[in-house]
Amino acid sequence: MKRYDLITPEGTRDLLFEDCLARRKVEKTLAELFEGFGYSEVVTPGIEFYDAFMGSARNFRQESLYKLTDSKGRLMVLRPDCTIPIARLAATRLKEAQTPLRLYYNQSVFSNNALLKGRSDEVVQAGIELIGGENCKRADYEVLCTAVEALASFDKDNFRLEIGHIGYFKELVAQLDIDEDVVEEIRMLISSKNYPALNDLLDEIGDNDITKALKQLPSLFGGIEVLDKASDIYANDKITGILYNLRKVFTRLSSLGYEGNISVDLGIVSHTDYYTGIVFKGYLSEVGDSVLKGGRYDNLISSFGKDMPAVGFGIKVDQVARHLEKIGANPSAKPADAVIFGEKGYVVEAMAHAQKLVREGMKVEHSLFNTYEQTVEFAKSKGISTIITVGEEITENKI
Amino acid sequence: MNKPLRIALTKGRLEKDTVGLLEKIGYDCTAIREKGRKLILPVPDGNLEVVLAKANDVITYVEHGVCDMGVVGKDTIQEMQGKFFELCDLGFGRCKFALATKKGSGFYGGYSVKTVATKYPNITRKHFEAKGMDVEIIKIEGSVELAPLLELADGIVDIVETGTTLKENGLEVIEDICPISARLIVNTVSMKMRQNEIESFVELVEKNLDK
Repeated sequence: MKRYDLITPEGTRDLLFEDCLARRKVEKTLAELFEGFGYSEVVTPGIEFYDAFMGSARNFRQESLYKLTDSKGRLMVLRPDCTIPIARLAATRLKEAQTPLRLYYNQSVFSNNALLKGRSDEVVQAGIELIGGENCKRADYEVLCTAVEALASFDKDNFRLEIGHIGYFKELVAQLDIDEDVVEEIRMLISSKNYPALNDLLDEIGDNDITKALKQLPSLFGGIEVLDKASDIYANDKITGILYNLRKVFTRLSSLGYEGNISVDLGIVSHTDYYTGIVFKGYLSEVGDSVLKGGRYDNLISSFGKDMPAVGFGIKVDQVARHLEKIGANPSAKPADAVIFGEKGYVVEAMAHAQKLVREGMKVEHSLFNTYEQTVEFAKSKGISTIITVGEEITENKI
Repeated sequence: MNKPLRIALTKGRLEKDTVGLLEKIGYDCTAIREKGRKLILPVPDGNLEVVLAKANDVITYVEHGVCDMGVVGKDTIQEMQGKFFELCDLGFGRCKFALATKKGSGFYGGYSVKTVATKYPNITRKHFEAKGMDVEIIKIEGSVELAPLLELADGIVDIVETGTTLKENGLEVIEDICPISARLIVNTVSMKMRQNEIESFVELVEKNLDK
């Protein structure tokens, strides 16, 4: 029988040395940032009940979930998402807690991807959720600022935060007398900016202000002028309100010193059953996919039994780490400061000396060789230039 | 000068049609016409870099963002799916997906589960799923027309241009599935990070399409 014991499963990988350092650096930067803004870390289980991820506002594609069963035969999944478990947690164990809740996480999510497409099945995500609170606009603004800070901390000259509002699309399609399947088709075509097919479909529905606006929706991205363009195309009270709020957020974010890094895309229409307000994505140039995704989701927590508004985002840690490695901004693995070699009969003394140096903050490797010459060879191969010999006395040699 | 925009072209007929389009825009495509065995070719006056690839790979490269744009047939897009923007219908490479059987075979009659041979299992699955119909799909790599002739399959789902091959082998189209043509696709991040360059390129492309 073929044994699969020498390789890791498709879509997963071992992380070694530099790769690990790069991941940890991103995680540390984010943890410090989140804690700085008053967020507390939570850890949720890696295995959850399948039911938690099925229901309105939280539909996952069945084939993308890693499934297993527990000892009672109940269907379980490997955590496919970080926000839903936190919503569950907020509605249950934290339901009496003082709001707003500021929670952050840093953990893996799993998805069963198509084979051989170069996608990871295990992805580390770090992010925040701001739950509850009086003023949702302030919450939106706070979370967006945190997102900008996070992106800027990675590559301050080459990032983009793009803001949209799911309400714009929802309000437009609500004006049309069409059924859900058609809405979904329109949504998909806008999401892929498929102008030809979108135009054909909307022509079938009719020629009016709404279909005209929807036809232009995929092109409504760019600078703040997009908002003017949108209100010229079509506006009712609700849409005017949405555009006004976007404009305010946009100018406020730009005024933080990030002019040129903020843009608008009213065509962000993914997960319309999940998001209820502002939505946003973060990009780093040269990274082929968005590295940050977030938005307001006011109906999710109520689906677990407690009505609380919330907004948050998640960052794909490994994509950022790989980008940092590419632009040479990641720390390189440094060799130890010294090798400690204990002469015959001085094993205890050598280890004691190593212990002392480590406590003082040095990084040392303890030689496992029997001779000084072998130790020198070893040190050379690892790029370590100091050898400390422990014998009758302690001597330090540069090589 | 900025880094050139990288565009992946599907080798073969779509490549020729796209080069024709680029030349109509006014770009000097000598490097592509005299490419030899090179796979990455510059179009300096358009600040473009052309990559030649197989259809499926065009999508892979664009999805991963190593190419900003790509030209690929709708057939490949439908079969592969993926995350990218499908900005325009270039109008060339026109043909259609169709279901064909041996003449007069009555594919939709009877109660037995039908077998369909195809190079495009996803499209085939989707087409029959929408009808609520179970079919057995067999993936064939070469001439799909052989499968019904050898009685491996009851029908085939394939790209049909003129229908000559079908006719010569005693097959007939019994159902059109969908039309196909070449599309310009764009990576989702490139679209945002290099919006102006891509938008002006697309504008030039649209202006020069044969309507």
